[in-house]
Amino acid sequence: MTVISLSHIDKSFGPVRIVKDLNLDIADQEFLVFLGPSGCGKTTTMRMVAGLEHPTLGEVAFDGKRMNEVPTQGRDVAMVFQNYGLYPHMSVAQNIAYPLKLRGVAPGERDRLVAKAAERVELGPFLKRMPRELSGGQRQRVALARSIVRTPRVFLMDEPLSNLDAKLRVLARAQIKHLAEDLKVTTIYVTHDQVEAMTLAHRVAVMKDGVIRQLGAPEDIYNDPADSFVAGFIGSPAMNLLPVEARGSMLQAAGGMQIRLPAPRDGELTLGARAEDMRLGNLDEAHFQADVFTFELLGDCTMATVMIGHTLVAIKAQKDLRLRSAERIGVCFDPQRLYWFDRATGARIRA
Amino acid sequence: MTASLSTAAMPGYQASAGERTVNWVRQLAVMVLIGAILLPIAWIFLTAFKTPRDVYSISSALWFTPTFENMLTVFREPWNLGSKVVNSLAVAGGTVLLAMPMATMAAYAFSRFDFRFKQTIFLIVIASQFIPAAVVVLPYFLMFKEAGMLDTRTALVLVNLSIVLPYAVWMIKGFIDAVPMEIEESAMVDGAPRSRVIWEIVVPTALPGIITAAVFSFTLTWNEFLFALIIGKQHALTLPIGLIGFRTERGDLWELMAAGGVLITAPMFLISLLVQKQFVGSLTAGSVR
Amino acid sequence: MVVLRRIPVHWLLLAPALFFVAAMALFPLGYSFLLSFREWKLARSVTPGDWVGLENYWYLLTDDPDFLEAVKVTSVFVVSNVGVTLLVALGAALLLHRAGRINTFARVLLILPFVMSPALVGISFRFFLNGEYGIVHHLIGLAFPSMVNTIWLADSTLSMVAVIAADVWHWAPYMTLVMLGGLASIPKETEEAARVDGASAWAVFRDVTLPQLLPVISVVLVLKTVFALKAFDIIYTLSNGGPGRSTQTLAYFVYETAFNYYNMGYAAAAAYILTAVLLVTSGFYLRLVFKK
Repeated sequence: MTVISLSHIDKSFGPVRIVKDLNLDIADQEFLVFLGPSGCGKTTTMRMVAGLEHPTLGEVAFDGKRMNEVPTQGRDVAMVFQNYGLYPHMSVAQNIAYPLKLRGVAPGERDRLVAKAAERVELGPFLKRMPRELSGGQRQRVALARSIVRTPRVFLMDEPLSNLDAKLRVLARAQIKHLAEDLKVTTIYVTHDQVEAMTLAHRVAVMKDGVIRQLGAPEDIYNDPADSFVAGFIGSPAMNLLPVEARGSMLQAAGGMQIRLPAPRDGELTLGARAEDMRLGNLDEAHFQADVFTFELLGDCTMATVMIGHTLVAIKAQKDLRLRSAERIGVCFDPQRLYWFDRATGARIRA
Repeated sequence: MTASLSTAAMPGYQASAGERTVNWVRQLAVMVLIGAILLPIAWIFLTAFKTPRDVYSISSALWFTPTFENMLTVFREPWNLGSKVVNSLAVAGGTVLLAMPMATMAAYAFSRFDFRFKQTIFLIVIASQFIPAAVVVLPYFLMFKEAGMLDTRTALVLVNLSIVLPYAVWMIKGFIDAVPMEIEESAMVDGAPRSRVIWEIVVPTALPGIITAAVFSFTLTWNEFLFALIIGKQHALTLPIGLIGFRTERGDLWELMAAGGVLITAPMFLISLLVQKQFVGSLTAGSVR
Repeated sequence: MVVLRRIPVHWLLLAPALFFVAAMALFPLGYSFLLSFREWKLARSVTPGDWVGLENYWYLLTDDPDFLEAVKVTSVFVVSNVGVTLLVALGAALLLHRAGRINTFARVLLILPFVMSPALVGISFRFFLNGEYGIVHHLIGLAFPSMVNTIWLADSTLSMVAVIAADVWHWAPYMTLVMLGGLASIPKETEEAARVDGASAWAVFRDVTLPQLLPVISVVLVLKTVFALKAFDIIYTLSNGGPGRSTQTLAYFVYETAFNYYNMGYAAAAAYILTAVLLVTSGFYLRLVFKK
C-alpha cells in the first residue's frame, strides 16, 4: 500500500534546471507513465523517487513519510534500468538472488523465491548462465525477475523496452502489463514511446522541459490534449498540426491555401486534426483542395499526404484506394473532432 | 591488431618485383628487431650456465659445457641470494598487498564522486610519479634514520608504496570508469550499502584492471634499485642490490651476475607474458586517446 | 565509528592514499626544499648546518664546473636518447603493424626489455662491451676492424653511446607498443581513401598517418624525456658516471654529491633544479593527456 507524493520538486544540475516545480500524487497500485522526449526530466524525476538523485527543492514522500534523506538502500523500491544493470560476474540465479542475499534471506528460501521469479518471466532453463551469454530480451527478463523476487513497495522502470527489437518489444510490453496487474504494486514507468504509454498506463504524465504538460488517463490525453505539444506527441501517426490564420469563416494557410472552416476566434492559430478523423471527398464539398504529395500503402489502410506550405498533412483512406502523385484531391475535416490551439503559446482553445 | 593495407591476404595476388623486395627487406628488419631484443637476453641466459673460464673467452661463446654450479653458488656465502630473494618477495608482495586496496579505494573515489578540488588532488597524486628519486632519497634516508628504520624491509615497502601508488591509482581509475554506473545503481536499489557495492560488485567487475595494476606495481618494486641501495645495508637487501654485489675489487664475476640476472628476470618474464594482453592494453590506455 | 558517518564517503576512501602521498612525496619535497637553503656537510655534523639562503643555488649555477658539466651531459643524453627512442619506436611500430606470425611473435617480445630491471640492463651492457670477452665489443670489432682495440667504457663519447644504447634497448620496445596502440586507433578508411585518391605509400604516411599519430608521438616524446631525466640505475651500473664525469647526468650528480661527498644541502639544491625541470616537462605531459 504505497502512495507516492512529489511536492514542488525542483532539480538543477549546475545552472541547468531539469525539473521545474513538479507536483504529482501517485495512487496505490497505480501504473503511472512519464512520457516525453529526451531531456524532458522524466528519468531524473523517477531517479529522485529511487533516491539516486536528490531534489534541489521539494519533497518526495511515500505514504506521507518524507523520503528525501532516506538513502536508496532504505527505500524498498525495485528498478529495471534501461541497460538492465546486470552484474556481469554473477550467474542469472545469483543476479536474481542478490536482493535477497542482501536482506539475509536463508539460502533455501532464496532458491525457492528465485525459482518462482524465474518461472514468472520464463527464465527457468537459464538460471546457470552468465549475462554475457544471454540475448537482449533474456537479459531484460533477468532484470525484471530481479525486481520482482521480493515484493517492493514501488516498481520503477526506466525505458526497459528501448533496447529490444520491435517484435520483442510488443511481447515484452504485454508481459510487463500482465506482471504489474498480478503483483499489485505502485509502478512508475518512463518512456519516450507513446504507444507504450497508451497501452500500459492508468495515467500518463506528459512532460516537456521539466514540466508536466498534461496528466490524465490515456483516452483523455488522446481525445482531449491540453496543448499542441501533447496533441502532436500522442498518436500514431502524429496529429496533423497546421498553422493557420483565422479570419471570419475562413482559414488562411501557407501558400495561399484557403480552408472553408470557421474557427472559435480570429488570429494566429494551430489547427489540429487526426489523420483518421479526416477523409477524402468530392472537390466541391471539400474543406480544401490540394495536390497529392505522396501516398503510402500501409496494409490496413492507405495514407494520403498533402503538403501545405511546409507542413505535411496525412489523411487516412481505405486500403484499396489508389492515387496518383500530384493528383488534386478534396480533403474534409470532421467538425466534431477538431482541436484548436493558440499559435504562440500552444494552449488549447476550447470552443 | 589490424593489418593495414595488407595485400598478402588477397588470393591470386601477384606482387611486383619491387614489392617483393620491399617485403623481403621488411622481413629482414623484423628479424633484426627480434634479434636485438632476444640476443642480449639469450646471452645473459647462456652466461649464467658457463664456467668462469668459458665466460672470459670469446672462443667458447656458443660451444661450451653448461654447468649449474653458478646457480648454486649464488645461494651460498657470501652472496646469499636466497635471503635477497626472500627480501624482494617480501617487499614486492607487501607493497602490492598494501597498494591495491589503497589505490582501488582512491580510484573509486576519483571515479564516482564529484567534490571540490577533485581535479587538483587527482593531478597531485598522478604527478607524484614525476618526482625524481634524487630529490626524495635524502629526506627518506634522514627520516628512516631518525625512526631507526634504516635497513628494514618495512622502510622499503613504504618507499615503494609511494612510487607505485600514482601508477596504480591511475590505471585502476581507468578500469573503474569503464564499469557502468547502472550496475552500481542496481545494487544500491537492491539494497546494498556502498561498502558492499564496492566490494561485491565493482571490484569483481574491475578485477582484470586491478590485477594488471598489481603486476605492474610488483614489477616496479621488484626492479627498484636506488632506494634499495640507499636504505638497505645488511639486512634489507633486495635482488638488484645483490646483483652489484658481484662486482668485487678483483673484478666482476660475470657468470654469477648472469645467474643472479636469470633469477631476477625469469619470474618477471613469465608474469608479463601471462598477463600480456591486458598489461599492454592498460599501459597504453593512459597514453593513447 | 559514529564520527566516521559524518565524514563524506569519498574522503574516507581517499584518506589512506592521500595520507601516503602527503607523507612520502609532499613532505619530503618540502623538506628537501628547505634543506637546499642550508649548508650541511654530513661528514662534519650530524645535524643540518646554517642557513645560507640562495648560496647553494648560486654556486651551482655559476661556479661549479661539475654541475655545469652534468647539465651538459644531461642535455646530450636526454636529447639523443629521446630522439633515437622515438625514431626506433615509430619505425618498429610501422614495421610490426601488420598481420603475420613473425610480426605477432615480435609484438609479444616487446614487453620483455621493459620488465627487466634497469640495473640488470646496465650490468649486462657493461658485460657485453668488455674489451676482452664482451660479445657486442667482439661483434663490432668484426664489423669495424678499427674498433677491435677500443675500450668502450674508457672513452667518453663511446660511454655515452653505450649508456644511450642501453636505455634505448630498455625503453624503445615499450614505446613501440604505445605507438602500435596509436596506429591501431587510426581508422583504416582514412588511409584507404588516400590510396584510392592516388597517394603513394610514402604520401599516405606523410599526409594521413603521421598527422593522426601526432598526439601519441607527443605523449611518447614527453614521457620519454621525463624518464630520461630521471634515469639513474642504468648509468650507475653501466658506467658509474664515467669515465670521469662524461656520463654523469644530473640525477647521478645529486647521488654522488649526497652519498659520496656527503654535501647534503648542496645536493638538495641540485636535486631541486632537476625537479624543477621535471615538473615543467611533466606539466606538458599532463596537459597533453588531460586535455579536458
